[in-house]
Amino acid sequence: MFRQEMKPVDTKQIRKMLNRKKGKMKRYLSYCAHCSLCAESCFLYMEHHKDPQYMPSYKAINSLGKLYRKRARVDRKLLTEMKGIVWRNCVLCGRCYCPIGIHIPSMIAFARSILRSQDVYPRLDEVSTESWL
Amino acid sequence: MVDFIRGQLISIAFVIFILGLIFQLFQFFKLTKKKDWVYPPSPITSEKKTAGQWVAFCLASLNGTLWKTDPLMTLMTSVFHVFLIAVPIFLLGHNIVLDQSWGLSLWSLPESITDILTVVVLVCAAFFLARRLFLARVRAITTIYDYVILLIAVAPFLTGYFAYHQWFNYDTVMTLHILAGEVMLITIPFTKLGHMLFFFLSRFLIGSEYSFAKGARAW
Repeated sequence: MFRQEMKPVDTKQIRKMLNRKKGKMKRYLSYCAHCSLCAESCFLYMEHHKDPQYMPSYKAINSLGKLYRKRARVDRKLLTEMKGIVWRNCVLCGRCYCPIGIHIPSMIAFARSILRSQDVYPRLDEVSTESWL
Repeated sequence: MVDFIRGQLISIAFVIFILGLIFQLFQFFKLTKKKDWVYPPSPITSEKKTAGQWVAFCLASLNGTLWKTDPLMTLMTSVFHVFLIAVPIFLLGHNIVLDQSWGLSLWSLPESITDILTVVVLVCAAFFLARRLFLARVRAITTIYDYVILLIAVAPFLTGYFAYHQWFNYDTVMTLHILAGEVMLITIPFTKLGHMLFFFLSRFLIGSEYSFAKGARAW
């Protein structure tokens, strides 16, 4: 196991980062109507036999949405779960479409920044049962 | 309590609704910045199209939209949102009340038409509920809050339909109808229903590939 993965989560830093973009990101999250119309715009969703886990809204809600909902009170296990959502399940191609006009890629990119600040990111030498490709 | 719901709370709800929307509008402009251009303007084509070519062009343009991927939902949601706003504004009963209180009223639709349109809104809402319950992809992101929001949006129509047909106790149903309308107005600026404002702001003012206009602002 990597030494960084044993480090405690700096919730203060996460909270600080979340607050910095609170106005925009919380608006995105609160105006999302959970309509799922963004689904077909994601090529990964289409490629994975329409698995809901690959829906753009699902990815944003279960990464950044969870961080705001839990007010940064998260543990490393949860951050590691989010790692799969924001890196493996999304390639940030920016093709996702929201009928309400929410910019989903900026939410995923922000979630990645937060995770990276806690040393949670995919490594090339990582031993994993699941492929990152 | 009933007097408060049928009296003062109506004004309070309208004030919260209007001030809330102004607040959200102000926040939007505060959070976005004006850019010289965000996306390059599309090339201007000078060639004139015949009516047939224009129709073909419009139909071809629909292929890149939700009409292609989910036509039923697109139809239902378009109808639902148009009538959700139009029916209460052009309802005869509402305009009579408006005329009695303020001496002004809008053009009204015949009651038989608004009665049918109310049923159309309720059918669309039932369709949304069915999607939430039975479609895996919608269920995956649905929380109890989504059902509450749907109820807030539909309650004024359901109680209004009951009141018009004088089902159950008329006075109670009417009070519930007024309360449902007030709850809806109060919650619009501060909940998911805020997409009523956000939709237009983002679609017309933010520059993006899917904007209806060439937006000159960016987040």
